[in-house]
Amino acid sequence: MRCLVIEDEMDTARYICNGLKEAGFNVNWCSNGADGLHLAADENWDVVILDRLLPGNADGLSIVQTMRALRKSTPVLVLSALASLDERVKGLRSGGDDYLTKPFAFSELLARVQALLRRSAMHQDVAELMIADLKLDLRRHRAERANKVIALQPREFRLLEYLVRSQGQVVTRTMLLEAVWEYHFDPQTNVIDVQISRLRHKIDKGFSPQLLHTVRGVGYMIAVHD
Amino acid sequence: MIRLFNTVAFRLAMGYGVLVLCAVAVISAILYLGTVEVMDREINAKIFGVSDRLIKRFAEHGLEGVQQGIDQLLTDSIDFDTEVYLLVGPDGKKIIGNIDPVTSDAMQLDQLVDEQVVRYGRKSSSRLLSHQFTSGSVLVVGRDMHAVHELNQLVLRALGIGGVLAVVIAVGGAILFRTQLERRVAAIRLTVLEIEAGDLDRRIPVLDSNDEFSRLNHDINHMLDQIQHLMEGVRNVSNAIAHDLRTPLGRIRSLLDEALRQDRNQEELSTAATNAIRQIDDLTVVFDKLLQIAEAESGTRRQSFEPVGLKEIVTDVVEFYDAAAEAKGIRLTIGVEGDPTTLGDKDLLASATANLVDNALKYAGSDSTIRVRVVQDRNTVSIVVQDNGPGIPASERDKVMTRFYRGDRSRTLPGNGLGLPIVSSISQLHSGTFALEDASPGLTARIVLPRVRASGRMGERNGRNGENPLPAQKPVLESE
Repeated sequence: MRCLVIEDEMDTARYICNGLKEAGFNVNWCSNGADGLHLAADENWDVVILDRLLPGNADGLSIVQTMRALRKSTPVLVLSALASLDERVKGLRSGGDDYLTKPFAFSELLARVQALLRRSAMHQDVAELMIADLKLDLRRHRAERANKVIALQPREFRLLEYLVRSQGQVVTRTMLLEAVWEYHFDPQTNVIDVQISRLRHKIDKGFSPQLLHTVRGVGYMIAVHD
Repeated sequence: MIRLFNTVAFRLAMGYGVLVLCAVAVISAILYLGTVEVMDREINAKIFGVSDRLIKRFAEHGLEGVQQGIDQLLTDSIDFDTEVYLLVGPDGKKIIGNIDPVTSDAMQLDQLVDEQVVRYGRKSSSRLLSHQFTSGSVLVVGRDMHAVHELNQLVLRALGIGGVLAVVIAVGGAILFRTQLERRVAAIRLTVLEIEAGDLDRRIPVLDSNDEFSRLNHDINHMLDQIQHLMEGVRNVSNAIAHDLRTPLGRIRSLLDEALRQDRNQEELSTAATNAIRQIDDLTVVFDKLLQIAEAESGTRRQSFEPVGLKEIVTDVVEFYDAAAEAKGIRLTIGVEGDPTTLGDKDLLASATANLVDNALKYAGSDSTIRVRVVQDRNTVSIVVQDNGPGIPASERDKVMTRFYRGDRSRTLPGNGLGLPIVSSISQLHSGTFALEDASPGLTARIVLPRVRASGRMGERNGRNGENPLPAQKPVLESE
């Protein structure tokens, strides 16, 4: 996987690049807007991570805009210290695929990058999702495990669908909140955890193997573990 | 004078004065032409008429006839005080007339001339018309112009005085105008200067008259209220930064310092790092919330407001929390009347509702019931979150709205004292109010927002101030 990181701050850049390399990415780092624009526009990347505030008061968003104007659909993750809703909306409207505010945990960044790669790879319209003996009928919004129907509320079904679509990969709490509930607010209590544990109770209790796993300090993952 | 001219009021009044003067000049010209000129023309016509009659008489009766005619005219006592006649023989001697013979080189024949003559032994300024007959005799017909000249003078003088008076009135009016305006403006300037000097509480006195200045003052006062509110917000935030952000920073610092001091093993170091990261994350959340409040208070998001259905938002939030409530053994119910709609931001309203439900879940205690309702009346829609837990003592209800305030019971629970201030600022952003009430037992949190008509059309909204002149319309329920 080829990844371009456009970030002027040394420490943050090193943090991102080291982490991505450990995760098996082929990382290219660029510290200014002009080179970044050049690289992003001329070469082909699997994903671009882009800081908004670049040297010389350049807004990283202009790089995304240029890429989109050139009909490049490379997924772009926008990084920014500008955390307000307005700025987030601006970032996504400019063509960014995801918006992550600083400071961030690398695990969150990685999970989001992987989600972006997955999203660009998986665009086909499927009627059914499956993992182990858990089956999701997307047309009728029905879930069954080992041929037994599991009663799920509409929102629980969406949560499960999102997890199964990202099977084998970690999704964070904020990703779930944004994708399943579509709101931008951070709940103070462990609401997502409770939702997940209720879902786990419904799909895993009395079945084997256990599918819904907690990844400590990061989020959740649906996978068939040994 | 320069200072005087340098005011808008004076220039306006002066401009107006010049305009009035122009009007006076035009009226004067018309008046003058209508009186003096008309009179002048009548006199000329009469002189020509009499002269013609006498010339005709000469043709019929000769010089005798003319002499008789003049004699008649002089004795008929018509125009006795103004008429001028003279008949001079070819030898230059006066035959008949009421003026002394005029030196003929001053005269132009058959043309009107204004000339000084001696009439009945007295000097007179007269208009004369001379005609020489074939016999060499000269006829002079004329009129004494003294009265006309006097009238002319009178009219001109009247117009002059009128003009001067108009100028005086215009200038005086301008000065009066200026002082009046200056007085009203001075009140504003005085207040502004006082505010500039740091006294933000000052307001411009507003008279009852509802004139332009009163309205302007009212608007300025309103703006000052807003600025003061923002200033207080900034002050609060700086206090908050001083107290509530430095403390955790100090904690993190000492934690890391401690970890470095003695020879710690790998495991202890990594525990310290993890702890530090967790505390920094908490601090980031505090930052985000403060920014959220600041963003709401700045009012910039109002630009992207659109009609939002509260039914959907509140249902989503309750659904979001139902698992958490279930886990705590708390009943969470929802009740929505009709399809209440307000003008606002979906995310912020969801955030406000979530904060209230979150709070209730935290403090209501197990085995309690939380009722979330959306109710509406003619002009407002309200989001009401009511629990039957211990509630908040009346003395503390105001304090919990201030940033970073933690009640005694909440100190042990996770949180940052920003939840209710966020709800409050979001309510204000939506031109609404937020209040905590005693539910005996428990607490009722109520967000009251202006209502908009539940129609699907965008942009059909009522005023920001919450007046809603539209009758309550039967709302259309969205099917789930």
